[in-house]
Amino acid sequence: MRTRAEANRQRWAILAFALAVLVLSFVLLKSAYYQLVLTQVLLWAVLSLAWNILCGYSGYFSFGHAGFWGLGAYTVALGMMYFDLSPWISIPFCALVGAAAGAIIGYPTFRLRGHYFALAMLAYPLATLYVFQWLGYQELTLPMKREAPLLYMQFEDPRGYVVLALGLLVIALLISLKVENSRFGMSLLAIKQNEPAAEAAGINTWRLKMLALMLSGALAAVAGGLYAVILLVVTPETVFGMLVSAQALILALFGGVGSLWGPVIGAIVLVPLAEGLNAELGDVLPGIQGVVYGVAIIAIILLAPEGVYWRVLDRFSKRAPAAEPPPRLAAPASNIAPLPRAPASSGADLLVLRDIGISFGGLRALDGIDLTLPEGGLYGIIGPNGAGKTTLFNVINGFLASDRGAITFAGEPITGLRPNQVCRRGIGRTFQVVRAFPRMSVLENVIVGAFIGAATEAVARDMALAALDRVGLVDQAEKTAGGLTTRELRLMELARALVPHPRLMLLDETLAGLGHDDLGGILGVIRQLRAEGITVLIIEHTMHAMVQLVDHFTVLDHGRLIATGRPQDVVRDPRVIEAYLGKKWSDRVAVPAK
Amino acid sequence: MQNSPTRRSVTAGLALGALAVPALHARSAKAQAKSVKIAMIAPLSGPWARQGQLLRQGADMAVEEFNSQGGIKSLGGAKLEIIYGDAGDNTEKAKNAAQRLLSDHPDLVGGSGAWLSSFTLAVTEVTERAQVPWLTLSYSDAITNRGFKFVFQTSPTADWQAAETLPTALKLAEHATGKRPKTIGVIQDNTASPVSFGKYLREGGGLEKVGLKASVDQIFTPPLSDATPLVDKVRSAKPDFLLLLTSAMPDCKLVLEKLDEFKLAKGKMPLVGNGAPFGSPELLNTIGPELLEGLLFSVANWPLKGQEEFIERFKKRTGEPFATQDALCGYGDVAILKEALEAAGAADKLKVAEAIRHMNLTTGPAAQFFPGPIKFDEKGRRQDVPMIFAQWQKGVPLTVFPEDRALAKPFWPSV
Amino acid sequence: MPFSEVDFLQALAAGILVGSAYALMCIGLGIIFGSMNVINFAQGDFLMLGMYAAFYLTAGYGVLAFLGPYAGPIVAAFLAGPVVFAIGWVLHRFIVARVTGAGAAQTVGAGAYGQIIVTLGISLILQNGGLILFGSTPVGVRTPLSRQSWEIGDILLNKARVISFLVAVTLAAGMYLFLSHTRLGKGLRAAADNPQAAIYMGIEVDRAHRLAWSIGVGITAIAGGLVATFQTFQPYVGFDFVIVMYAGVVLGGLGSNFGAFWGGLLIGIVQQMSTLVLPYQLQNTAIFVVFLLIIFLRPQGIFGRLSERA
Repeated sequence: MRTRAEANRQRWAILAFALAVLVLSFVLLKSAYYQLVLTQVLLWAVLSLAWNILCGYSGYFSFGHAGFWGLGAYTVALGMMYFDLSPWISIPFCALVGAAAGAIIGYPTFRLRGHYFALAMLAYPLATLYVFQWLGYQELTLPMKREAPLLYMQFEDPRGYVVLALGLLVIALLISLKVENSRFGMSLLAIKQNEPAAEAAGINTWRLKMLALMLSGALAAVAGGLYAVILLVVTPETVFGMLVSAQALILALFGGVGSLWGPVIGAIVLVPLAEGLNAELGDVLPGIQGVVYGVAIIAIILLAPEGVYWRVLDRFSKRAPAAEPPPRLAAPASNIAPLPRAPASSGADLLVLRDIGISFGGLRALDGIDLTLPEGGLYGIIGPNGAGKTTLFNVINGFLASDRGAITFAGEPITGLRPNQVCRRGIGRTFQVVRAFPRMSVLENVIVGAFIGAATEAVARDMALAALDRVGLVDQAEKTAGGLTTRELRLMELARALVPHPRLMLLDETLAGLGHDDLGGILGVIRQLRAEGITVLIIEHTMHAMVQLVDHFTVLDHGRLIATGRPQDVVRDPRVIEAYLGKKWSDRVAVPAK
Repeated sequence: MQNSPTRRSVTAGLALGALAVPALHARSAKAQAKSVKIAMIAPLSGPWARQGQLLRQGADMAVEEFNSQGGIKSLGGAKLEIIYGDAGDNTEKAKNAAQRLLSDHPDLVGGSGAWLSSFTLAVTEVTERAQVPWLTLSYSDAITNRGFKFVFQTSPTADWQAAETLPTALKLAEHATGKRPKTIGVIQDNTASPVSFGKYLREGGGLEKVGLKASVDQIFTPPLSDATPLVDKVRSAKPDFLLLLTSAMPDCKLVLEKLDEFKLAKGKMPLVGNGAPFGSPELLNTIGPELLEGLLFSVANWPLKGQEEFIERFKKRTGEPFATQDALCGYGDVAILKEALEAAGAADKLKVAEAIRHMNLTTGPAAQFFPGPIKFDEKGRRQDVPMIFAQWQKGVPLTVFPEDRALAKPFWPSV
Repeated sequence: MPFSEVDFLQALAAGILVGSAYALMCIGLGIIFGSMNVINFAQGDFLMLGMYAAFYLTAGYGVLAFLGPYAGPIVAAFLAGPVVFAIGWVLHRFIVARVTGAGAAQTVGAGAYGQIIVTLGISLILQNGGLILFGSTPVGVRTPLSRQSWEIGDILLNKARVISFLVAVTLAAGMYLFLSHTRLGKGLRAAADNPQAAIYMGIEVDRAHRLAWSIGVGITAIAGGLVATFQTFQPYVGFDFVIVMYAGVVLGGLGSNFGAFWGGLLIGIVQQMSTLVLPYQLQNTAIFVVFLLIIFLRPQGIFGRLSERA
């Protein structure tokens, strides 16, 4: 997340860019053709930025942004043909059309993830394409208004269009900048990084994704509307076709996905390149321009897999003075609010599960789970692979809904609540696979946890720093996460879950795969958390680590609770031994406990 | 996130991009002494490249022949120079090509293209504003419905073609079956020309005027995946004859073969097509001459009596088995521009446009290449154009109507 | 719009026959997606290469002229497979491997961005290169089978399409057996789920992917060769099929080859039978509507795995 100063510098950069384009257009370029190409560069950059707002930041790839572009184009074209509506009015109206389309599309489609989402998005513009053909709108031309050209955005001087497209691009850049600097943007990035974790940290992922799609759709539709004015001919293939969606993607991926300037870079390089190739080679050896273009984009992407922007940035940051000492945080200790101590081990039951069960297909993944955790203890859940441990966590968290039973937390029922709501009640969760943003600082990685509680960015920062302090990472707060060790990554994950001051922490295999020294460090942190009054429920595989750590064990096997009690008792329980090692061993240990 | 490399890389990129276009574009048009420039924009790459290639073949041949015959006499023997632009595979490329040609060659006096009606629409938006006269063979009536003054459509519009096609088609059916048809089956795709054609039939009262009812009326989106459901409907409804308005050769092939498969071809179901793809060599190569024998189709332009020499020259030069509409129009458009230049007496686009508006040619190279007089109305449309019908006979599609310009006599396949 | 039983059965037959070609294409795509988790935008262009391979084998160089117009095209379709397999092998070795699988597992997004651009780039190169090499004139493999049919009552079954159906089903079965019963096939499936783990287990992920990729494009090419017997094509034809292929694979279930076959078949059936009740122009919209419905109601497709590794 940028500081105010950095954000201001970006704004100046946008202004400088706009001025450069104006100089280019009004002073340097002489022919109407170059002005047309420049206009197209700017417009495609807007579409790509719109795409980037949803896809670059949230990671939800859309192959169907042509849908919004086409709706915008047809709104303007139909508006002018049938209602004599001036584009000055219909183009801003396109924003509403695009946002509405985004809402309608997003509602069902966000239930999907990954490739499914991208391919579903692909279907919308293509289905719409055929509908428009069927409706008879194969070829719409915007009527020439000789009497009042300016009223209908029909400029004699092509630079008028350059100015309009540039204005739209500046708006798009400013919007993207605002998104990047806001917690909206940070939350989108958190969703991209690890959606369940973001949800468990209190972020209402569905709402944010919908907002991102609506914003993206609105911007894309407005750009499409302006495109119709420039092209003057609208056909379903031209505006709803795959090529449009592909263009939005290619420009962003080439230039640097998820960055402010990436789509612009992509547009500046690729659009003139393609046009230049068409112009020069089109009549010489038809087809060669496509081959050259294909070769060019492959070559560049092999050299810069995440896009030109990131590659250049990485190159520059490597050259920067090595390892600047982490800047002393402004009055660290005094700024960090003293931790509100939870009521010391009141002993009251904090988390109660009664008869929790859930099935997958025909398999009963959890059955008849009863669990009671008094406040202030350190509890372990252990069991062989496939026992249902993570499933249990997912049920507690709200990612899965149990088909029977109830869960109460601090006396209130939480069954059926969504994960971000569960988080707000005071349950924090870590995940097995830690996915960090390698280019962002530790602080930036952790700060999403603060968004539910913090009213301002400053408070969010403080909360994040406080959490880092609790896990002992506060000195690394400004360090880029890409350089962290496994132990530090685990601690960072812990810190993120700690930021909103949870009363109960669910730790999912935090100790897995750690070496002896690292293990000691993390165990220390966990014990410290318990000392500060947080109740901890930890899933682990490794018996010996758990035995040292927890007060109380629960053993799961095949979805059932098979033993519960103190570590030394549970370890000798024949059912537990049988579950882990088989009947042979449990028979051997059928010896009365000491 | 640092941003100093950002700004640097952006301005660098911008400069790079700004230089890229003119740098790639460094090939400046060398103005030859005493030459007059005309343009042709056609799809030279992309799915319609074949059509562009044919247009280009015709145009190149025309330019070469006119130049070798002494160029434009009223301009002191100035040679014609033709500049090509690739319309590619979408309207944006077509528009860019038009803008580029005009910017690079501000002395263009006229042009022709761009085959696909949506490309033509986009191109003519540019040429109209630049006041460059433009010829096109596209059938869609939208092209000349915009109140433009510099666009001239050499083909009769689709609705006119519809009005002319039906009577002859009826005659064919009557001869074939012995009675006047009452029902018609229409199978068409939803591209612009068939849509205009069809609109005349249905909403314009075309069918009513000749006393026909459509018992099969199907519009499909090209490309066709399978013609079975279409032809199945024909089999069950059994219209008295069939009108095919498929503007792409692959779709023609699918429908014709399916008709054969359903035992409705070879005269069983009298059938008339509309559009140049029905006469293309590709169709011959993929279907074979037996299935095509006797197939009748109407088209805006086809080799006519008086062009026999040209046809031989064309075949020898290009290796094509016969000349088709696209090549003829490519040649003919250049011929019209040449005549206009001769009449205008100046390499001035406004004068050339004026010359075209006042044209009324019944003789000369341009008139030879189009049926009917070369005369445009105030919308830019041609008047009094006889509809050309061609029929496949022994593997060659020959013009059979109008009789005075036919190269063969029609025969009526009997049921 | 009322239709008769004959119409219904005829449309169903058409749908199955058309669908079988789609099904075979989808299997090819499904193998690639299932093994490599890559969305291959160039799949339609490999289809196109298969079509041209079959064309040149029968007509161009007349290699198979001695087999006559009935057997020749079918054999040519089969031979198109190895030809395109080889092309795919080379492309993977030098380009695709860099942005997929083990090579890309380290980068952010596991190289997902690179994959998209690389396959789009390959698509452009194949289409436009095809224009330069093959020319723009639409061609087709000529065989009288394309206008002959077998009759069952009033229902006509086009011979070329029926043969294509039989070949498709046979190949699909063969692929299924290969993937589930041979060591090579099982290795492919292991490499699919977790390339890094597979490496640790000694499976050469890179080779497995290369094999999957090449088989995938080869199978689709055979489908192309079969389609070439009844449809004409030009170098840009691939694009018309990519969308259908994707719809089929997702419908059947990403990651399930079995599903890809049924998905493709279903797409064909929907496409042809929708004409019974909907205007012909909305054939493909019907496909997308069904596609979206299935995605919403059952995102893993008909036969897909429940979890989705995004």
